[in-house]
Amino acid sequence: MMFRSNNLAARVFERQILTPRPGTSVNLVRLFYENLVPSCTIYDVDCPDHGFHKFTDDGQYLVSFSRNCQDLIVYRPTWFSFSCKEEDCDSHSLPEKAKRFDSFFTQLYCVSLASSTEYICRQFFLYVQSHQFGLFATCTARCIDAPTTEGAIDEIPSIEKITFYLVRLEDGVILDEKAFCNDFVSLAEIMGVSFYEDLLCILSLRYQTLHVLQILNSGGLVDVRNIGIFCREDDELFLNTHAQITQGGYFLSGIKQRLLSFVFRRIWNEEADPTLRVQHLKEFYFRFQDFVDFIMWKMQFLDRHHLLIRFGHMDKGVDRITIQHPTFFAVYNMETTEIVAFYEDSSEELYSLFEQFWGDFHCSRNSLHANFISSHCNNIYALDEYRCMKNSANSTSQFMKMMISSLPVNCQTPCPSPYLDLSLFQYNHKLFPIFHHVHSAERPVEFTSRRQPNVLNFKIKSGPEAGVPDGRPERSSLFRFHPYLPLALSIQRTNMQPTVVNIHFRR
Amino acid sequence: MGSLLADWPSYNPHNFSQIRPADPSAQPSKLTPITYHPTHNRTLPPPNQVISTETRHILLRRFYQKSVEKLRPKRAASDNLTPDHGSKQLRGAFADGCN
Repeated sequence: MMFRSNNLAARVFERQILTPRPGTSVNLVRLFYENLVPSCTIYDVDCPDHGFHKFTDDGQYLVSFSRNCQDLIVYRPTWFSFSCKEEDCDSHSLPEKAKRFDSFFTQLYCVSLASSTEYICRQFFLYVQSHQFGLFATCTARCIDAPTTEGAIDEIPSIEKITFYLVRLEDGVILDEKAFCNDFVSLAEIMGVSFYEDLLCILSLRYQTLHVLQILNSGGLVDVRNIGIFCREDDELFLNTHAQITQGGYFLSGIKQRLLSFVFRRIWNEEADPTLRVQHLKEFYFRFQDFVDFIMWKMQFLDRHHLLIRFGHMDKGVDRITIQHPTFFAVYNMETTEIVAFYEDSSEELYSLFEQFWGDFHCSRNSLHANFISSHCNNIYALDEYRCMKNSANSTSQFMKMMISSLPVNCQTPCPSPYLDLSLFQYNHKLFPIFHHVHSAERPVEFTSRRQPNVLNFKIKSGPEAGVPDGRPERSSLFRFHPYLPLALSIQRTNMQPTVVNIHFRR
Repeated sequence: MGSLLADWPSYNPHNFSQIRPADPSAQPSKLTPITYHPTHNRTLPPPNQVISTETRHILLRRFYQKSVEKLRPKRAASDNLTPDHGSKQLRGAFADGCN
């Protein structure tokens, strides 16, 4: 076993002369991130007062929204440059003119997405990496006392207009838009929308319909199918041409009918003993109305043809829309319109599939970062922590339920930055959750290299440089890491005070 | 080979000077590799076999596998309830029990 030096120059030389083991050249190159760390900070940079949302996964753009949530502003991450004519440049600190926001970011354009009565949903952004398209959403305020509409669930609030915009990020041109009127789509944390390759699925909670759309290469959004009342394209035509059935009749929606028939067939086929079969069927009929009252709560793509849909009963009488437990999961094949599998959220079988194949639930991440976002499926340190969490849980069944409650998976991608890769660095990610990157501003986040666990590699302090005077409440910071450059932003936002932005970079 | 190596820089000028070129009669280009032929045809693939990658990922395959196990009828075929998928049959007046 050859001793590998941690020295940067030695590593560069080794890269020239040593061939890494097959398939590991990327891993070896990623080790360079241990040497190039964002340890330098520019505190309280003078920058426009925008909400910096996210770096795109290819690192080409920084997406941000104006404070009034009506404009989209996109920056290109660059790098500062300045020249120093002295002999010993390293000891010099950065000149003041380099310590600016536009040393690192160039504004590309500012586009107005929302009209005066609408606002951009700040948490909603999907990136189509292949074409550098961005999907954004605007909505109007919630309607109180919305009129009852046929087919709508009245307990679910109605929003006058929700519009999805497909924007070409290169130049800010709005390529297409799709509007939903008097409807409700859960936009917070991208809960109501799923994305896979070029397919988009939007769940209309109010009308209980899944709208499947395709993003064309040219930038159009086209309807592919709607699943809800009808499953196949010709269902509506068929039912309408047989009017004598619908008069005085009662049809369940297509997706509900598929679900109920699957459950019935399963009970019928599973039990060989006729007496037991009748018993199970009786239980099913007893709960029949519960099944009929199910609503589709959330969904995700499993592949181009399959959806994982979560069903449950709405919690009525509360301000926020929540769902009661137990909830149920169904795998639906859009081509054959059949339900493939159906589980309750306490199912051990579903949990074991979740534990073993977590990566396949997150299949929408087909990007080059997919292998490097740490999870218990691809990282031994994450697996170690997962096992500790599992063993220390009070009740296994509660732990399983808690894990399964994260399904269907949001298509928010965690940041692919190598500094957040658990196989390269160790950091307290309980204080620094992988999705939201919210951290208390007063404590610096310490990063330790895995290969040298006793030595602090670098730390990021997001609070003010001089510290916080006593008596002031602790504030929390949001972090935005660039996917591959040693560059990060820490942002403290409070309502009444201006945003404080720090830039962390490698000098 | 052979004398070629002797011209290369080396610590000791006598290195590589003893090497003789390989036996010229056994030139590699004229050698045919030994081929092996099977003595039976029990392991031949079927003539129309095509090997391709499974398009469904493992998670979906597991879902299907488990559902096939559950839906496989466990009693006589006459009791089988698998519906006719292809056609949508017109039914009579809808049962009241669905309310």
